[in-house]
Amino acid sequence: MTSAMSAPEMVGADNANRVELSLAADAQMLFLARLTAAAVASRAEFDYEQVEDLRLAIDELCIGLMNSAPGSARITLQFQWDDSELAVIGTLRAAGTPSSNGRQPAAASEAAVELSERILDALVDDHGGETVDGVQRAWLRMRRQGHLA
Amino acid sequence: MMANDAAFKVTVSEQGGAPVLEARGEIDVASAPEFHASLADVIGQDPDIVIVDMSGVTFIDSTGLGVLVAAEKEMREGGHDLRLVVTQPQILRLLELTGLDKVFTVLSTTSEAVPT
Repeated sequence: MTSAMSAPEMVGADNANRVELSLAADAQMLFLARLTAAAVASRAEFDYEQVEDLRLAIDELCIGLMNSAPGSARITLQFQWDDSELAVIGTLRAAGTPSSNGRQPAAASEAAVELSERILDALVDDHGGETVDGVQRAWLRMRRQGHLA
Repeated sequence: MMANDAAFKVTVSEQGGAPVLEARGEIDVASAPEFHASLADVIGQDPDIVIVDMSGVTFIDSTGLGVLVAAEKEMREGGHDLRLVVTQPQILRLLELTGLDKVFTVLSTTSEAVPT
């Protein structure tokens, strides 16, 4: 669910349990974010249902970032996990040159944004977003099934 | 080049007098416009019932669900019916999580969805 919790801290994490992906904020590239999310969740030994949940949650997180992209931009996804949870921070930055094909989603309707929020609320334990110095960030946390906060 | 099993494909056929739009692969922000266009074409022919067979859909996100929600609303407002055929457990679960299982008529086979 969305909460007032702050974004996960990425510093000090075990280097072996961190993965970063950088991709154009382009609708055609979103499958790469999903593939990576599923691979990371599997590597972190999350169960099948949570792997599928993370795959969809990352897709929704990226859609949210892409909807706010002013034009050509890149998304960086940082995945980090430990014994209790998996956290992801997505960062959107304007790019200096256009992406390969520049295909971006049409501006999302209010209903689509609400649906996306509803999906994230249902799939992850915590998610949120912020804009700092013009850089848009969105994050989520998923606790391991059966692990209490 | 390797075949992409996730690639979105849509075909339209007819069963029992009702159009059946069969979607396969992943419906995401990239493929949702094609899904929307295909569905709009079918609905534009003003059928009483439209069946959307999603048995072969392996992934759908909020943009794909948004297309279905808009289509269901349009059909309902015209006094018509949109029926979904869903068999993939993860899609059924997503419909439940979002409460959309109460909005759509969800069936497990196209023969169940065909008007009698």
